[in-house]
Amino acid sequence: MACLLLALFFVPQAVAHTPLCSCSDEGDGTILCEGGFSDGSSGAGVKMQVLDAAGKVITEGKMNEDSEFTFKRPEGDYTVIYDAGPGHIVKVPSSEIKE
Amino acid sequence: MKMKKLVLLLSLVVAFALSGPAYAHFQMIYSPDSVPKSNKIDLKLVFTHPFEAGHTMDIGKDEKGNIHPPIAFGEMHKGKQKDLLKDLKSISFTSLTNSGKAYEAKVKLKGMGDHIFYFVPAPYYEGSEDIYIQHCTKVIFNVAGAPTDWDTPVGDPLPVEIVPLDKPYALWTGNVFRGVVTCKGEPVPDAEIEVEYLNHDVEGNAFVKEAKVEAPHDALVTQTIKADKNGIFAFGIPRAGWWGFAALGAGGDLKHNGKELSQDAVIWVQALDMK
Repeated sequence: MACLLLALFFVPQAVAHTPLCSCSDEGDGTILCEGGFSDGSSGAGVKMQVLDAAGKVITEGKMNEDSEFTFKRPEGDYTVIYDAGPGHIVKVPSSEIKE
Repeated sequence: MKMKKLVLLLSLVVAFALSGPAYAHFQMIYSPDSVPKSNKIDLKLVFTHPFEAGHTMDIGKDEKGNIHPPIAFGEMHKGKQKDLLKDLKSISFTSLTNSGKAYEAKVKLKGMGDHIFYFVPAPYYEGSEDIYIQHCTKVIFNVAGAPTDWDTPVGDPLPVEIVPLDKPYALWTGNVFRGVVTCKGEPVPDAEIEVEYLNHDVEGNAFVKEAKVEAPHDALVTQTIKADKNGIFAFGIPRAGWWGFAALGAGGDLKHNGKELSQDAVIWVQALDMK
């Protein structure tokens, strides 16, 4: 159990691997983002932000235990930030988020 | 006497003309990109001779000419299987020499990671060999680079399958592709594997006429390699594009309608150029 907790705790700092994030429009007014790392490890606990066109944070949160993050689709253009630490940030622009 | 000789000669000529080169059959599950640009893709399921874009068979045709429906078609993602049999639509696919009964499926790749599509057709009767052939086929698409399923066996409903040891969608031209030939989860020692290059692009429900390469001789149209005692094979990929691997008779000694059944395990992998 302790090992598991430790593992979960350390996942966001798995800096040796490439961070990955992919989002899709669920068609019900919400956007679902999934995250992880190139070695297959989970992105649970990774900091998530949604910025509007001006760069202002409109939604903030963390990847849940299933390595997913859901938010209400904002009006206009926006960018999703998957922030797994310095040098391990993925930006997903709304133009790439499709149904 | 002279007449008899002539008849013999003529029959020989006719036999040769009819037999033609014995290029390999390959069941394809085709879409242009193993890492698709859109999450909605169109799969073409065609039983053909991919190097030559040659004779395309009617999937599931028995010796009486009756067509039997596919046995299994599905998707595995994050360890979960989804039955997609009902999403198969019958199409006619045109090769350079004929048209054959094939299928298509419009599918959505939902979620980051690997999406394995697998297909088990009803056995096809090959008259020239008087045997049935069944190609249990799989292909792997990836979304957003996350590795989730590519090295996991699909298992049931695939009786035989090739389990990759290298990501089938992350190959540069010149890389080696390795796989394990398995039957009901166990390696098949010394398996014989036919390898063919998809030498013609697919446009709509047809092969385009133009070939990408020309083979200097027949042994390079269908290459044959062998697995080792652990069922493992390796193949250096010489050119970008789709490559098919068919492990012949991976299912062992089987019969269908009283005839020999060659139950083969097929996988398709795609290499891309470094540029």
